[in-house]
Amino acid sequence: MMEELDLLKKDWKKNENSFEQVSEVEIYKMLHKKSSSIVKWIFYISLIELALGFVVNIALSFTKYDTQNNEFFKKWGIYNYYIILTVVIYIVVFYFIYKFYLMYKKISVDDSTKQLLTTILNTRKVVKDYVIFNLTSFALIFITIFSIGFYHIYIDTMLKKGIENPEFSFKILIISLLIIILVTGIFTLVFWIFYKLLYGILLKKLLRNYNELKKIDL
Amino acid sequence: MGEGLEQSFVKQLKDNQNIIHKICRLYTSGNDAHKDLFQEITIQLWKAFPKFRGDSKFSTWAYRVALNTAITLYRKSTRSVQTVDYEKHSFLISQEDYNSDEEEQIKLMYQAVYQLNDIEKALIFMYLEDKDYTEIAETLGISEVNARVKMNRIKGKLKKILNP
Repeated sequence: MMEELDLLKKDWKKNENSFEQVSEVEIYKMLHKKSSSIVKWIFYISLIELALGFVVNIALSFTKYDTQNNEFFKKWGIYNYYIILTVVIYIVVFYFIYKFYLMYKKISVDDSTKQLLTTILNTRKVVKDYVIFNLTSFALIFITIFSIGFYHIYIDTMLKKGIENPEFSFKILIISLLIIILVTGIFTLVFWIFYKLLYGILLKKLLRNYNELKKIDL
Repeated sequence: MGEGLEQSFVKQLKDNQNIIHKICRLYTSGNDAHKDLFQEITIQLWKAFPKFRGDSKFSTWAYRVALNTAITLYRKSTRSVQTVDYEKHSFLISQEDYNSDEEEQIKLMYQAVYQLNDIEKALIFMYLEDKDYTEIAETLGISEVNARVKMNRIKGKLKKILNP
């Protein structure tokens, strides 16, 4: 047996350098295939985010706050708009998630550096759009509902105090607007930081891959 | 992970790539499977690279990670187990310098080695690479005694395959 093994070893050594060599560029490419796993995570996180939104909404619908809010919205005559807006937002969010899915599929099959570069750039852009959409829609809705609510509550309080034909003075208008904008700003900032942590890290990694790939492409 | 780290990895991998090629030769058949395994091992090495402190040689470390990757993957894939036909591997055997008897024997040996299981292949690989039992044991995470026993069993198994 040893004889045969020695023979095998001899042949093994003889063929040691017969392999087609892989270049540094090719190794780089292999490493940056991992871009696809980053995009996969972006897709998953967006799904988790959506699912969490559903869970929170469902959980809230069992509390009295939700019915209370809905009653207020109905009283102020904005309930229907609120429902329509919610539907529209969900449609847009679904659209973004679908796009993430498409990009994940695409990046998995991209085999040229050029294609990979384009998909990475695209992904970053779509994620940024997604975050901007979420933040602005949140801020706008918050400001609108808060303003309407503030107005109605103010009028109600004045009526209760026995003041007839209460009016919004310019001073109150400015102060209330400032407060609303400030509160919205703080909430939006918190969300922004949250997104920055959630997607920012992934986007940064993608950017790093992009820069490395770019070096290869040159 | 800085760029310097990446550059140093790519360079060292390029210089030591024959280790991976040789493992691919033992564990895969066909060009595509070879490339796939090469890529998978490369990725696994890169993932493990931050833990590589440089207290051992890159090649020693690469043997361990690459071989373990091959073993794990080979275990997962059921399709390629023992269905490798030896014609596909005949390209491995160089035609020159051998008399036909020797050539035939080498062919049969390769054929026999391809029938071994994942761990056994790893041991044969280390043997072909002239590693001593200490290194084999360390690379595969088994004791030296165990490595010797296994190697003897493999020799017996090969003998059986060659002379049924």
